[in-house]
Amino acid sequence: MGTVGQEKLDQALCRCASGLRRVRCCDADISAWPGLAALEVLEAQGQETVKLFNEKQYAEAEAQALKLLDLAPNLRPALRVLYEIRKAQKRGAAEEALAIRLAALPGEPTVRAAANVLLAQHYVGQGRYAQARPPAAEAVMASPKDATAQHVLGVVLTESGELQAGERHYRRAVALLGRDDGVVLANLAWNLKLQGRLDEAVAFYEKALTLRPDNRRGQGGYAQVEFARGNREKALRLLDEALARWPDDRTLRLLRAMGDLAQGNAEAVLARIADAPEALHATELCIRGQALARLARPVEAVQHYASAKQLQRERHGQHYQAEEFAAKAAAYKAYFTAERLQPLPRAAPPPARQPVFLLGFPRSGSSLLEQLLGQVPGFAMGDEFSPLADLSRAIPALAGATGDYPEVLDHLLVGDGGALPQRLRQRYEEARMQLGLARPDVRFITDRSASNPWQLGLIKLLFPEAPVIHVLRHPLDVMLSNLAQDRRLEANCNASMPALARHYALLMSLIRHFRGQLTLRYLPVRYEDLVTDTAPTLGRVLDFIGAPPAAQPPEALLRANSAMPPGPLPAHFSGREPVHARGVYRHRAYQSHMPALFAEVRDILDPWITELGYAEAEA
Amino acid sequence: MSGAQEGKQVIPLADALARLAALEQANKLVEADDLANRMLAAMPEHPHILHLGGIIAYRNGRVAQAVERMEKSMALAPEAALYPRNMCEVYRGAGRLDDAVRAGQRAIALAPSDARAYFNLALIHYERLDLDEAVRIADEAIALDPAFAEAHFEKAEALLLAGRMKEGWESYEWRFKLKQAEGMLPKTDKPQWEGQPLPPGKLLIVGDQGFGDCIQFSRLIPWAALLCPQPVLACSGELTTILRQIRGVGKIVTRWEDTGDYEAYIPLSGLPRLAGITTQNIPPAGYLTPDPALVKSWGERLDRLTQKDKRRIALVWAGRPTHKNDRKRTLKLEQFAPLFARDDLTILTVQKGEQISQVGGYYGRAPLLNLGPEIADFADTMAILQHVERLVSIDTSVAHIAGAIGVPTALVLPHAPDWRWLLAREDTPWYPSLRLFRQERAYDWSGVIERVCASI
Repeated sequence: MGTVGQEKLDQALCRCASGLRRVRCCDADISAWPGLAALEVLEAQGQETVKLFNEKQYAEAEAQALKLLDLAPNLRPALRVLYEIRKAQKRGAAEEALAIRLAALPGEPTVRAAANVLLAQHYVGQGRYAQARPPAAEAVMASPKDATAQHVLGVVLTESGELQAGERHYRRAVALLGRDDGVVLANLAWNLKLQGRLDEAVAFYEKALTLRPDNRRGQGGYAQVEFARGNREKALRLLDEALARWPDDRTLRLLRAMGDLAQGNAEAVLARIADAPEALHATELCIRGQALARLARPVEAVQHYASAKQLQRERHGQHYQAEEFAAKAAAYKAYFTAERLQPLPRAAPPPARQPVFLLGFPRSGSSLLEQLLGQVPGFAMGDEFSPLADLSRAIPALAGATGDYPEVLDHLLVGDGGALPQRLRQRYEEARMQLGLARPDVRFITDRSASNPWQLGLIKLLFPEAPVIHVLRHPLDVMLSNLAQDRRLEANCNASMPALARHYALLMSLIRHFRGQLTLRYLPVRYEDLVTDTAPTLGRVLDFIGAPPAAQPPEALLRANSAMPPGPLPAHFSGREPVHARGVYRHRAYQSHMPALFAEVRDILDPWITELGYAEAEA
Repeated sequence: MSGAQEGKQVIPLADALARLAALEQANKLVEADDLANRMLAAMPEHPHILHLGGIIAYRNGRVAQAVERMEKSMALAPEAALYPRNMCEVYRGAGRLDDAVRAGQRAIALAPSDARAYFNLALIHYERLDLDEAVRIADEAIALDPAFAEAHFEKAEALLLAGRMKEGWESYEWRFKLKQAEGMLPKTDKPQWEGQPLPPGKLLIVGDQGFGDCIQFSRLIPWAALLCPQPVLACSGELTTILRQIRGVGKIVTRWEDTGDYEAYIPLSGLPRLAGITTQNIPPAGYLTPDPALVKSWGERLDRLTQKDKRRIALVWAGRPTHKNDRKRTLKLEQFAPLFARDDLTILTVQKGEQISQVGGYYGRAPLLNLGPEIADFADTMAILQHVERLVSIDTSVAHIAGAIGVPTALVLPHAPDWRWLLAREDTPWYPSLRLFRQERAYDWSGVIERVCASI
């Protein structure tokens, strides 16, 4: 039997900067790791390393951990010590690699849960919620009575937009703790705010902030809820109090500036956010730009918006995912043809509460239309809380078929597949019910999901006779309005104006395709009509939907746009304003100051300007 | 020395011209276009390249360029008879009928024994509704070439359009000698029926033409069944549901193998001649009936899908693109804009085929429901039409369906319509529920849809 000499060892250190040799770290052969019995031999030394760490003898603890892990890369105590040290040293790659390894180790359920919570929190800290989900879920499954695990999963689900599931885990965490916890309650309150359940959110915020008055994020969230409830004075007072306590908190300052803007005090925004432009975050640049726009300084406003977009591209790597979405659109167009859809089964009979699907590229006015419909008795506002995209992803599993959506819809033609549209509809309706939208007086529930243009085929199968209302606006106004926002949009199309234009054209052409191939109960409505001729335009929509004409509030009340309908309330309620026509053909003034402003997007948008009938407005 | 540049292949002009003509004949229009452009770049003043390049441009839909090239070729070679002959047809496509007449006359003057030159000119006279002249010129073509099927057929269409039905039906028999008629009739040595009585099931009736013709002429099947009970009907699968309703019809088949042992056959479009149909003795409409169950279910659906306070107007704007006159009869959806501006209407499009995609670009004020994707067959169409105030249609099969079941219809027609719509009248003896809206000028739809709209 030969021996391996020192000179033959692979001494290269791992690229993750853990300090371990790469063959004992990221390039290790897991199948060759020591078994449980062998690890027991090293357990005492492992605990000794933990002791050193707890006694703050970090250098010694690190050295010993490295040696032990060279012997046994899966020795949990040593791995945990090295993880804590690298985390403290902010060696991100090593921290992540070690956390992943810790989470994957076998062991007692509670220990495994703790390791997975660590990993999930690591991802949450970086805003990587999709990656945080598996370890957060693993932690809950390993130790369902672990309140921290439940809380972390609540955070992950809430931030991923799965609000109701997030709420369930927050409430479970509260129940397991057996006491009120300020952080958990504040997070639950934020979740409820996102669900539009503002009164409940306020109650939880009040309790949470009594327990933890030092929770800055909670104070900001509470103010946002009060703003959305129409209690603007109280919201501003809360923000002023918080800013007095934490004057350097930029999130609170930003929220306060947004309050200034909502009150029409653009000068105050400029005074409040007065840093040099290069020191501002993207959202701050946008709010300052909006204030400049209100002060009729469009050139400076556009400069601010452009800087914000540049910042998002250069610092945060936001780039338009053109190819991926073009391929998706091509696949949808290839599948959803009249010939292919005609034989597919549909859900029936007409639903008790009719969904009303709203389409519109961001900043086209679909939220305004939803606010106006929300003032009409019998309507509930579903905002963007739509389960359709999730349902489309679930179809392969539900149909017991392999393949991707939409091709998997072919399985609806086979065996029990015919019943699937009905099942999917039930799931959709259950989700709406859980949101509290299915009140007894409600006959129509709006669905304003951003994914609706993609889901028109599925909508046709689940709700064959549902109205689809498409809010149209002059494409250049749409561009301008989106330019002023720091809001992440589908495919990162917010990265630049050309990206916005390309995605606009992509979605419009997708909608055009669906309309040509499906029998859709479709009505186009123009934003320009909605804000200048509000009651008659809403009347057309209501007539089309089939709502009783007597239900419509009078013009003055509609235009005030301040009624507080029963909840839940959509997120866009916090930015609600009286109906105004300031934004109609706003691009003209900008173009007169900056003739080349839209030069890059003309080729893409001019055909749409013509097709939508805005060419005359251009002339 | 060849004088050719290195790397470039030089072929004789005659070969290149032959290749260009062959590509055009073989419908390889992209390749032909490319070759024509290259040849014109090298020899921009060559009359025959210009002529062929013009034909290729025309067939690629570039009519203005075609006219420009071909006019130049005629100027360069004023004695070439072929050029004005083809120019005549291209002017027709460009809507320049006066120029087309002049070109046609020039072609005849240059080649007085060229039957095709006469035929081309006869077509122009049909388009101008100079029907006597169309018949006279077609007769000249036939005199030069008695077996010239296209000329006979053109004569038939002119006679029928003029209401000279008896003469027209005789010439109309030439339609089966047209190139495009191949495969329409069974390959058989059995005789064509001449109206004599036959035992039950021994007459084969063939649905030979388009859907519209079959629907229109199917009213004559009961007459044939009086002489030959239970005739076998061979037709396209799309028609079986509705033609089954025709009184007296026997077995319906969609494959020649299933026709059974018949003794004689007759195309459906041959029945008017045998029955001696004139404008005065057309069997009445109302020979089709929608399925009551379908009528009920479509009624319920449409009540849910449309607004109660709006008047329902059904619409068909495009025909089958392979139809020989489709360019003349088909419109774009957007050309119906006067209807779309109406607040009191809901538009139900019953259009089928690829053209339904135009609905995607509709943003008019009147709600528009694209029913085409949900229509499985003519039975659905008939049921839907029971729930509309009126159908607005181009000259296509749905208009015949509407006429056969008595649905009020506004039919928009080209200046020189298909023969069945006759001349200068707003009604039609074939279908009393149809009102005809004709172009006032050839190829010009302006004012037509406005008149339809005003009538609603």
